[in-house]
Amino acid sequence: MPLAESVFDYEARLAACARGERAALRDLYVQEGPRLLGVAKRLVRDTALAEDVVHEAFIKIWNGAAGFDPARGSARGWMFSVTRHLALNQLRRQSRETPFSEEHEAAAPDELADVHSARIHRCLEQLEPQRRSCILHAYVDGYSHAQISARLDTPLGTVKAWIKRSLNALRECMG
Amino acid sequence: MTGESAQDRDELAGEYVLGTLSFEQRIEVQRRLPDEPELRAAVDAWERRLLELTDLAEPQQPSAQLWPRIERSLERLTVSKPLTSWWNLLPLWRGLSAAGLAATLILGTLLLTQTAPKPSYLVVLVAPQDKAPGWVIQASDSREIQLIPLGVVEVPADKALEFWTKADGWSGPVSLGLVKPGQALSVPLDKLPPLQPNQLFELTLEGASGSPIGKPTGPIQAIGRAVKVL
Repeated sequence: MPLAESVFDYEARLAACARGERAALRDLYVQEGPRLLGVAKRLVRDTALAEDVVHEAFIKIWNGAAGFDPARGSARGWMFSVTRHLALNQLRRQSRETPFSEEHEAAAPDELADVHSARIHRCLEQLEPQRRSCILHAYVDGYSHAQISARLDTPLGTVKAWIKRSLNALRECMG
Repeated sequence: MTGESAQDRDELAGEYVLGTLSFEQRIEVQRRLPDEPELRAAVDAWERRLLELTDLAEPQQPSAQLWPRIERSLERLTVSKPLTSWWNLLPLWRGLSAAGLAATLILGTLLLTQTAPKPSYLVVLVAPQDKAPGWVIQASDSREIQLIPLGVVEVPADKALEFWTKADGWSGPVSLGLVKPGQALSVPLDKLPPLQPNQLFELTLEGASGSPIGKPTGPIQAIGRAVKVL
């Protein structure tokens, strides 16, 4: 059962990994494995593939622990970044030509109705609903510009412009 | 990169983290990140801004096989990478400094005798099955080597050839980068100890962005050992 993020000391576990302590990696796996797998699964849309990604991610976390720089961000955030980028590489590599698949369950904008105090959600709420779903489809579902364009039935150029402007707006809003 | 404004850089970083870049664009960003602190800072800032959105993905319990599989992979890494890495091996560095002294003497002699430089090491990389020669490596000094193809090799579109070396006494192979089939490649060796006789070189078939774990994982396409040219 994962501990609350505020109690679990990710940085200390990562430092222990850097010293070669396998139990610390196991702690990180127990703590974040299910959430990392959930993120990877949502992106690559296949459980076996998602487990490959998480496998690769934990090897990368183990090997990269010594080089982790806390000045660049939190250890927990780094674990998610490592996992997401492995999944996105995989997704973009395999789906260079894969057509949009309808069966994939999309991030419905109403997921935002969950109680989220995080600033990102308050800033997202300031975007127009369609632009907000562009950001969510891209980040959470790993949709490409073309897939978002198909999903929202909106011209590709419009989607690209929306995303660019939404990112600018988010940066303004979040600092 | 020239002509890239802070605004361009931030947009690139934002779309990289968001996930909307193409595979080729992603690889390009990943190639630039280690050398470009400004791009790295922009990416880090976007990672922090968007991190909370990972909460929107439903957690999923990993299968019972996943952790044992990770452990097995770590086991393999540890076998090939003992805790005292080769950077910390005193005998290795003693040997290398002796070799360095020898090289200095040889270079000094070469300078004094005005001998034209000639290749000091040669490697012929052959296919492991039929021993057909595929590449030649030549080094006219021990700081840079050239990998020269002897023919054109077919590499699947989603794969890449990765170039590795390992000398006796090193704990594991070190990547020298990805190789474009049919193209010569110059590799500076400034972060590695000087070349040694019998040093192993090989090309393996890896995913398009190279081995994910920094060690060869794919089949060997060509392999050979360094021979000192007298």
